[in-house]
Amino acid sequence: MKKLNRRNFMTLAGASGAVLAAGASNPKKARAIGGDVSFANGGRDFSPVTGKERKAIPTACWQCVTRDSMMGYVEDGRLKKLEGHPGSIRTLGKLCAKGQAGVNQVYFPDRILHPMKRVGKRGEHKWKRISWDEALDTIAAKLKPLRDAGTPELFMYQYGRHKASQAATMYDFMGAFGTGTIGNHTSVCEAGKWTGQESLWGGMYDNWDYDKTDFVVNFGSNQFETHTNHIPTSQRLIRAMVDRGVPLYTFDVRLSNTAAKSTEWVPIKPGHDGLVMLAMINVIMNEGLHRTDHFKYMRVTSDYHATTEQKVAGIKEQVAKFTPEFAESKSGVPASKIRDIARGFAKAKSACLVTYRGTVMHYHGADQERAAMLLAAITNNLDTPGGRVMGVGAGWKAPSTPKAKVHKSLHIKDGFPGEAAFPTHHVSHQVGPMIKDGHAGRPKVYWWSCYNPAFINGDNKEWSSILQDESIMPFLITSTITYDESSQYADIILPDVTYLERWDWEDMVSANQIAEFYIRQPLVKPLGESRCQGDVWPELAKRLGFELAYKDKKDFVRQSCEMTPGVKEAGGFDYMMKEGVWHDPNDKGNYGFYAKEVDVSGDGVILDKDTGVYWNHKKAGVGSDAKYLETKGAKNAYVAQNIDGKALSAYAPNTSFTKSGLLDFYSDNFKSKGLPPFPTYTPAPEHVAMGKDDMILTTYKVAVHSHSRTTHCKWLTEIKHDNPGWINTKTAAERGIKDGDAIKVKSHVGEITTTAYVTEGIVPGVIAISHHFGRQHSGIYGSGKSNPFDGGASADPDAKNMTWKKHGVHPNAVIPNSSDPISGTQRWMDTVVQVSKA
Amino acid sequence: MASPENNMVEMAIARANVYGLLADVFRDEPSDALLSKLREPEISGALKALNLSLDDVFECTPQEQLVENLALEYTRIFIGPGSHISPHESMHTEARMGEPNALWGEQTVAVKKFMEGAGVTIADSFSGMPDHITAEFEFMQQLLLTECEAWKNGEKELGLNILKIQKRFYDEHLSQWVANFCNKVIKATEQPYFKQFTEVTKGFIELEKETLQELIDEAQEGDRLSA
Repeated sequence: MKKLNRRNFMTLAGASGAVLAAGASNPKKARAIGGDVSFANGGRDFSPVTGKERKAIPTACWQCVTRDSMMGYVEDGRLKKLEGHPGSIRTLGKLCAKGQAGVNQVYFPDRILHPMKRVGKRGEHKWKRISWDEALDTIAAKLKPLRDAGTPELFMYQYGRHKASQAATMYDFMGAFGTGTIGNHTSVCEAGKWTGQESLWGGMYDNWDYDKTDFVVNFGSNQFETHTNHIPTSQRLIRAMVDRGVPLYTFDVRLSNTAAKSTEWVPIKPGHDGLVMLAMINVIMNEGLHRTDHFKYMRVTSDYHATTEQKVAGIKEQVAKFTPEFAESKSGVPASKIRDIARGFAKAKSACLVTYRGTVMHYHGADQERAAMLLAAITNNLDTPGGRVMGVGAGWKAPSTPKAKVHKSLHIKDGFPGEAAFPTHHVSHQVGPMIKDGHAGRPKVYWWSCYNPAFINGDNKEWSSILQDESIMPFLITSTITYDESSQYADIILPDVTYLERWDWEDMVSANQIAEFYIRQPLVKPLGESRCQGDVWPELAKRLGFELAYKDKKDFVRQSCEMTPGVKEAGGFDYMMKEGVWHDPNDKGNYGFYAKEVDVSGDGVILDKDTGVYWNHKKAGVGSDAKYLETKGAKNAYVAQNIDGKALSAYAPNTSFTKSGLLDFYSDNFKSKGLPPFPTYTPAPEHVAMGKDDMILTTYKVAVHSHSRTTHCKWLTEIKHDNPGWINTKTAAERGIKDGDAIKVKSHVGEITTTAYVTEGIVPGVIAISHHFGRQHSGIYGSGKSNPFDGGASADPDAKNMTWKKHGVHPNAVIPNSSDPISGTQRWMDTVVQVSKA
Repeated sequence: MASPENNMVEMAIARANVYGLLADVFRDEPSDALLSKLREPEISGALKALNLSLDDVFECTPQEQLVENLALEYTRIFIGPGSHISPHESMHTEARMGEPNALWGEQTVAVKKFMEGAGVTIADSFSGMPDHITAEFEFMQQLLLTECEAWKNGEKELGLNILKIQKRFYDEHLSQWVANFCNKVIKATEQPYFKQFTEVTKGFIELEKETLQELIDEAQEGDRLSA
């Protein structure tokens, strides 16, 4: 036979095709292969050593708030690997580096595995192992007298990352106990963003419709490295850029990896995002590039009944002073650049306006978010395909326990009197200082979980001293997996499970506007004596004399699956355990909800002529002559908004703002508190008063760490364990600082020493320091110190292979707790510091 | 001028056809209809281009008798009873874990996992095991048809990925045993039909090594040019 080559092969192929086409080769043919070729993006895994298939369990991540659905692979009872869930419409089978390193959470050598009680002084690190029974009996003995005395509010619980069923079970217990003194952490996260949105939308959480967009402008979001909805959104943005050539313009003080991957990085001075947006609005309005499609849902002056022409004139008047040249003089962004990007944004078929901490963690940050919403709205890119849209998450139903007859709160969650006008997500960073102050009362029992107040808040050393003081904080409980800056002061330490050992249902927002229901289930049996809080609450409730509506966390999730429409019909708990995720295949996505016509013929529904709101006066418990805005609780009786003679659902008030169904770009709420009713430019007072040698300190996140919950993960800390201060070449030269020099960073609350990273990748006059490092404790990998317990790091051979000696510095020691007067959000990006060579 | 995508489509169809025909050759005893089709000029011409010919087969024996003879030969060579050449990979390669050759051996499991990874399984009606030569060839045919659709739809990344999957299957399986198997058959068979198609099989599998690499290089080059 001749050797086959490309030519005679093609002859053979042609002949083969003819035989196959004739169907002659095998009339009684039984095909060998069944099904069609389809490539799953994962979902199975095999041991590289034995070749055996590992047990695959669908679950959900918890390394950050994105909470990706994922697959865990288990071999011989040990968790070996985590990957994205291939069936998830949110994550599309992807999982970030942090998520994949979740394996380290379960097995890190310094993990807390047993209940303990303090036997030395606070901070002396003397502990005695106790049983769970003793721990719960001790706690019940502290809590029961508070409840019996009618002072349940003296029990305070504060949490960091609690969401979905983890939050629902906690709130259920606290409701049954009777305390509303429940603190969160959102003010150190992005509270101002939500407050700004709520004043307009009624609700909150923006999603960016990258799958359909044509143009993206990003202010202060490091989206490609880390983000509140990182994996679902970042991959879609990358895909839009690569596949469809969508441009991305990133305004940031720092050349983040997101800025570096953008079409263009536009350096901007801290706190000026809103001003540049107002200048863009100025350009768009004056050049007639605006689109009025959404104007009927907008209110831009005090007049609820203004025509479109009046609204156009009103916006022009409000932004007249914010010319690109004025914005350039303050922000450092060239006027020509502002004009170009404004025109591109307005002319694009659809466009996304992105903001995050860089925009909102400032003085009047909430107002800067309002400017962002306005920019999106005037270009018809608000709640339209391809634009900035209100996100949707899964709406789970869940069992609930009746609330206690006596239910009270200490008023220590919303900051000091006058500190914040609309703390809709509370002022968590001031909880400690307010307890110290004492005027609003002090809890007798303070319990925190998945939270590290002595590390994550501003002026963290002050927080540390508050926790240490038994006269201020008489009894402290923590549920934790790691010994850290806060748990070192606890009276009782309860060993929490990791998220890879527990049950939950999850509900994080989808990037494609279709809600995804998903669950978390244990991949392995909890290590040691660690116990899920959802299992602890029912045990503690029994000791306190009441029963909860579920017997343990698994039961809570099971009941929820059987109660939730859609999930129930798909097969309920059994289906979710097997598949992990569910979405309605007929869901077309959450667009145009505001244009839905509403029946206003119901009993008690009346039209408030002043505002155009249809509301149910009977539901509000008032007469038909009452005014909507003047009636307490009227927002709960909102039915619809009269728009062009039609009753439309519009933007219902569903948070603490009482408002009409219009987007309140002119806000009576703001005006009533002496705040600017229309988005404007309000510089931070301390920036206006800055001296010649002063600098502004900003913080940021890197791709491989969360704020305080990952430095003990060795795979991540090996990659990133130090955080030098970024400083511009010119600024450094003025101070005689060279790259790698030791530098001092000083503010009015403290001083730290770090090293200088001298770069053109940051605007002059700013120093940027990431906020993950400088751990006092966090296990051997995070701090270099082993926990003060037996075993621990010595058990892990990798601890001897650590290649790094540096563990960074924590910038929070020089950042005061300082709130945005609108939202109460912590102003991470406003601190004035002095930087000098050490 | 043919576009790079058209070339990829053409090659995918061509290779799918050959895999499809060879899968049929080893699947069953040849039917009367197949033999009639083979007598047509198209296939005989293709074989002649390779210096092969089935003329002797057809000239010496009436077709009805030939069908019977080939059925007996198929049984003798591939089925048994007694000494035969099993058309299963696990009977021709040394298992990694040192297990003796056996049906449903380590390689069978590996092929099954590979196929399942691509979303397909062995059909219930198929009597062979996953590493049967027909199953492996048909699997490649299925991959190629999917690859073809990818190129037609402009899904270049998917097209390239499927080529890489084929190469992996070729490297881990087909290249490990098919030529060796063919040598045994060529030596043992007394029928030109099996001898010649087995020679074609061996030649094709050897050609596949360079074909796959060339196609992957072409696809990657095209990807770079379009980036």
